[in-house]
Amino acid sequence: MTEASSSAQAATVLRLRWTLSSMRRKVWLVSGLGVLISLLGLVLSWLDPAIRAPLRPGLDFTGGTQIQLERRCDDACAELKAIQVSDVIRSLELPQEEGQPLPNLGAPRVQLLDGGQSLLLRLPTLSAAQGQAVIEAVEPVAGPFLSGGQSVDTIGPSLGKQLLRSSLISLLVAFSGIAAYISFRYDRRYAFLALVALAHDVAIVCGVFAWLGVVLQLEVDSLFAVSLLTIAGYSVNDTVVVFDRIRERSKDAADLPLSVQVDQAVSATLTRTLYTSGTTLLPLLALVVFGGATLYWFAIALALGVVVGSWSSIALAPSLFTLWDRSRD
Amino acid sequence: MARYQGWFALVLALAIAAGMFLVRTPLELGLDLRGGSQLTVEVKPAGEITRVGAEEMEAVKAVLDRRVNGLGVAESTLQTVGESQLVLQLPGEQDPTAAARVLGDTALLEFRAQKADTEAEFRGLRQLRSQVEAILRLREDQIRRGETPEPLDLAQLKSTQQTLGLDGQASSEEEQLRQLLNKVDADLLTMLEPAALTGKQLVTAGRQPLQNNPNSWEVTLNFDGEGAEAFADLTKSIAGTDRLLAITLDDQLISAASVGPQFKSAGISGGAATISGNFSAETARELEVKLRGGSLPLPVEVIEVRTIGPTLGAENIRRSLVAALSGLALVAVFMVVAYRLPGAVAVMALSLYALFNLAVYALIPVTLTLPGIAGFILSIGMAVDANVLIFERIKDELRRGNTLIRSIDTGFSEAFSSIVDGHLTTLISCAALFFLGTGLVKGFAATLGIGVLLSLFTALTCTRTLLRFLMGYAGLRRASNFLPTGQLPSPTA
Repeated sequence: MTEASSSAQAATVLRLRWTLSSMRRKVWLVSGLGVLISLLGLVLSWLDPAIRAPLRPGLDFTGGTQIQLERRCDDACAELKAIQVSDVIRSLELPQEEGQPLPNLGAPRVQLLDGGQSLLLRLPTLSAAQGQAVIEAVEPVAGPFLSGGQSVDTIGPSLGKQLLRSSLISLLVAFSGIAAYISFRYDRRYAFLALVALAHDVAIVCGVFAWLGVVLQLEVDSLFAVSLLTIAGYSVNDTVVVFDRIRERSKDAADLPLSVQVDQAVSATLTRTLYTSGTTLLPLLALVVFGGATLYWFAIALALGVVVGSWSSIALAPSLFTLWDRSRD
Repeated sequence: MARYQGWFALVLALAIAAGMFLVRTPLELGLDLRGGSQLTVEVKPAGEITRVGAEEMEAVKAVLDRRVNGLGVAESTLQTVGESQLVLQLPGEQDPTAAARVLGDTALLEFRAQKADTEAEFRGLRQLRSQVEAILRLREDQIRRGETPEPLDLAQLKSTQQTLGLDGQASSEEEQLRQLLNKVDADLLTMLEPAALTGKQLVTAGRQPLQNNPNSWEVTLNFDGEGAEAFADLTKSIAGTDRLLAITLDDQLISAASVGPQFKSAGISGGAATISGNFSAETARELEVKLRGGSLPLPVEVIEVRTIGPTLGAENIRRSLVAALSGLALVAVFMVVAYRLPGAVAVMALSLYALFNLAVYALIPVTLTLPGIAGFILSIGMAVDANVLIFERIKDELRRGNTLIRSIDTGFSEAFSSIVDGHLTTLISCAALFFLGTGLVKGFAATLGIGVLLSLFTALTCTRTLLRFLMGYAGLRRASNFLPTGQLPSPTA
């Protein structure tokens, strides 16, 4: 990837060269494999009887109640097993809400986080009073809880569907908006390739999370949809910079073969792409390390998107661009 | 050169203004950062109404507003979101159970008899209530007109509070009065028998002027069969006594009427009744609306409840602050190492960028949420991108042997188109998220979008101005401040 430079060529120190056209088959192989494995993850997730969807949908999309409780531990937390908590919940009798069937507490999901310091409960949709009843029932087993350290999220099933729909719509609208913009600023060739790169990035990020859903039971929430959209914007941003150079080269060096123009353009923007990815990754890294549980997977999805996005803009999109060379001549 | 000094002064002035503005206007924090509850209700179409329009939302909101105020929760806000949703926010550590109940209930109109032997006290409280209400209304009017409300008679307020057993602990005079009102309402309720019939049995309510005096009005009630019977029993039990027939709406007394002795034997039968006595056309209409609107015009369903304890909120603030600061610091180190002098300039421009961002949040205002902060942190990365693009171009120009000033100018102009393209595509995503997304997603889109717009400004203006300003000093005007000397073309080449 880097061309070693002798002292005579001091001017090329640190200038990365990337002779893309000679290794485009390898690029396609890597990207193709990546997408294939991702698709496999999505399919496996779909076939999984516990998921039945390409990604494991979280509370935001399915509806339900999630209760997080911080335990008050003075020195060390009293020993607690998740099964103790779920036994209590299973045998709990909930207060009835008028006109509503009683939620079934037969299969609560209980997780201990931060080395047992906090407790995460996932339950079917509960009313505020029922949620309170659950907390009170769990307290003798897992308490005492830190006052002011609890969070309860309840999402009705209808809201979950709305969220899913609005997420999908905003994804589609953003994609077509971006495509329209690039077709207008460049031409349809660039727009098509930018979308291919974008689809590649989004597919791989989804694929990784599908695998995480199958293997680690990781669920995707509305923040994941947000991260996909951000990745979409970022990926195109990255690709456009490279395309901007290709366009410039095709004016300034029109006599060179297209593959050389593309190589030059990619080499010229390589430092920038890597630096930018680096500077975007740094704050994301800070979020992963310090951001806390809410933003942890969100930051990871974004970071993954940045890495994949850089790959697609320095390798995949320009290498596909060289295909036009042959079809024309 | 003078042109850049002008720009420099402008940037400096903006930075000072932003800083001063931020000191005065604190940032609005979302519930996930300060703790509290958020409830979302969806208004469902029913009966003849197949689509929930703005008018229906207005009507539902008016009823819910009153119910929420009745809860006596400080600083609660109720907002319409989208076409058919209302979001209620209760900051601080407050149990959302009560709020969820009153939001979801459809009808709370009740007809109740006054308990025996409470006449004097009941009358006194009702008088006090109308006084306090009048004062509150007057003050609200004055505040709306921009006048300073007259100071309260504090001695009287204090003695009234003592009689009612209130401690007088409230943040403002308005709050004190409201507290008083709530207490009076609660006391009044204790003097009432349980409900004999409710708004469900009320078929219609109307109003008409009196036959002998068209300036005086009465309010008419019509009950269904079951209601007519219950109403007859109720009125029979208190006819001819000093006990009143009380009508409460959401546990608030809205009317109390005496029943004449002529109804002693059978009560008011037939399912129709009139309430008369000193109603003007306006007050009669008010009562009529309350009687009709006591039940929500459309059913509502609580579809989302989110509660976060204040400790957890404070922890979220701490964590995201650490993340934001360390993110900025990491980027700053990277930029200085990679780009030297212009890198340092970029760090300055980025600090301005962060400052402007926060000022805009306070100005609009944007309510900061956890995803919102993530959007801000991410936008830092993107803001750097613009600088990187420019500096890479400057380096290219220097390597080609161009002079420093020329390289800087070319760098900015060459990088311009890809910066604009990149920023605009991100903005497109943000716009889609902002207009189609909900709640937390909106917060993220807002901060990222603002960040992207500001980054266009800081990269193209602040960085450039600062850089050109520094180039005014001969000591800094050296290409080696931009590139390792080894990479510069040798003079002979």
